Amino acid sequence: MATLEGRSRLRSILNKAALVLPTAALSIILLYLVLWNLYYSFTNWSLFHSIPEFVGLLSYAQAMSTVFFRSSFVHSLELSGGLILVGNLMGMLLAGLLYFVRSSKLRTVYLSIFIAPLAISMAVNGVIWLWLYNLQIGIDWLLVRLSLPALPWLSSTSTAFPSMFIVAVWAYSGLAVLFYLASFMGVDKSLIEAAKMDGVGTFKTFFRVLLPNSYQGVIVATALLFLFSFKIFSLPFVLSGGPTNVSLQTTVVYMYYLYTTEFFAQSTAIATLVTAIAAAVVIPFALLGLRRWVRRE
Amino acid sequence: MSEFGPTVKAFLHQLILAIFVVIWLIPIYAMVINGLKSEFDVTSTPVFIPPLHPSLTAFAAVWSQLDVPLLNSVIVVIPVSLVATFIGAMAAYYFYLLSVSKRRSLNFMSNTIFSLIALATFMPYQAVIIPLTRIEANWGLLNTYGGAIFAFILFYIPTAALLMSMFMAVLPRDIIDAARIDGSGDLRTFFRIVVPLTIPGIISTLIFNVIEMWNNFFIPLVLFNVAKQTLIPVAVESFTGGYGTLYNESFAAAFLASIIPLLIFIFLGRYFIRGLVTLGTGGKGAV
Repeated sequence: MATLEGRSRLRSILNKAALVLPTAALSIILLYLVLWNLYYSFTNWSLFHSIPEFVGLLSYAQAMSTVFFRSSFVHSLELSGGLILVGNLMGMLLAGLLYFVRSSKLRTVYLSIFIAPLAISMAVNGVIWLWLYNLQIGIDWLLVRLSLPALPWLSSTSTAFPSMFIVAVWAYSGLAVLFYLASFMGVDKSLIEAAKMDGVGTFKTFFRVLLPNSYQGVIVATALLFLFSFKIFSLPFVLSGGPTNVSLQTTVVYMYYLYTTEFFAQSTAIATLVTAIAAAVVIPFALLGLRRWVRRE
Repeated sequence: MSEFGPTVKAFLHQLILAIFVVIWLIPIYAMVINGLKSEFDVTSTPVFIPPLHPSLTAFAAVWSQLDVPLLNSVIVVIPVSLVATFIGAMAAYYFYLLSVSKRRSLNFMSNTIFSLIALATFMPYQAVIIPLTRIEANWGLLNTYGGAIFAFILFYIPTAALLMSMFMAVLPRDIIDAARIDGSGDLRTFFRIVVPLTIPGIISTLIFNVIEMWNNFFIPLVLFNVAKQTLIPVAVESFTGGYGTLYNESFAAAFLASIIPLLIFIFLGRYFIRGLVTLGTGGKGAV
């Protein structure tokens, strides 16, 4: 009897191992890569120091003291912060408009159009917008026909970054629209009906009933807009034809640039910093948000 | 707002929505029409005007550069997303078994694993590119199919595991328990009961991963990039131009690179959208 029980126990363990081992092994590799970054970020490894020596925080200090790091980090913050602000506003506005569309089929079509940029490669989106920003045949052609002043878009250092920001708003706002609409649809229909019965207008219903009951939409839209925008790489890379354009560089692009120029330790220092920032957002979001929302079902 | 009649308000509602929809469609519209322009159209029309003399010359011109990358993308993305989805689903089921357990230590463990999977899903994967490149160089995987496949598996299994674990959270517990009491092993239960019950979730995860992998630019840029031996997003980037590039070729290349994800999005978009919703809300909320 004992051996039979032992055998079924063994079988159960083997079964569980087969389920989880492939993912566990790959997760360990991924974790190893992150720790590898952490280890080498404390060395001075670069083209000039091919044998890494331990130097403490020197590589962090060197990487972070450059003008390029500061401008790329500011760009990342502006891109993420701006996208959180504008994306949330677009999300509220467009999801509000979609919520009051009567035909559910039409609503799905409109929603899909706002999300469509996310189904296309950001590299391809970059190629398309490069031509839309062309000074002769792009948006400027339209502006001139409408007797509006033409803008220099990507070709001037002062308008290049805002131009990229517009592309990011176009590409990522759909996320916020989706999560706000999901929140609005989750609001108790009887509240909306009651408001309608009381003769409360659409605008008031939106501000007094829909928005106050959609705190989850704010949290999710903000978290995901941050997480998606913080790793934007292809847009600045494609819009500026490589990793070197200082006015479009984001932190991950600068990190890649340091890697291509073989400042390995500095690149790993920035990589570690980027990972830590992402972790500071993801872990609370996963445990306090996702995990609890799943359980409530 | 009471001074507006209901018809005026309904009209304004439709109008404002229509304006945003049109703005959102312009870049996609440009991608579709401009690839069909002839050389004459390119030199005489801006990107907003449809082709006067539709022709396929631009497609013919870019095809010789894009045929191999397109095929490579199909070869790498389709099998890898299938494998990643299944392996992720298996891990998600293990994770489900942990989270229904009453032992506290297991519950703590499942919280830790959940955080790690979420981190692996959302973190900027560009951050681990130096160690990954070195590993692939040591193993002789750099610039091979194997190298691209390994990187995709590494980065997209966590996404699959996270999505599937949220789809599985709603599995009816009594059915699983009944199967386990009957002495069905966990693997068997997974294939016989869990998979059939979570088919919509599996499709969502699969579609989501196909689109994300297909569109990934960074991984092939760094790990699989020798002349034509690359994936389609990197190949398209070479048509951004410099002086003398005709824009019909850029748009034709962009269109060829987007046709598969766009077709999937048009016909199976609700699965992609459900994947996105689940990634953000844990599956609550119905759109």
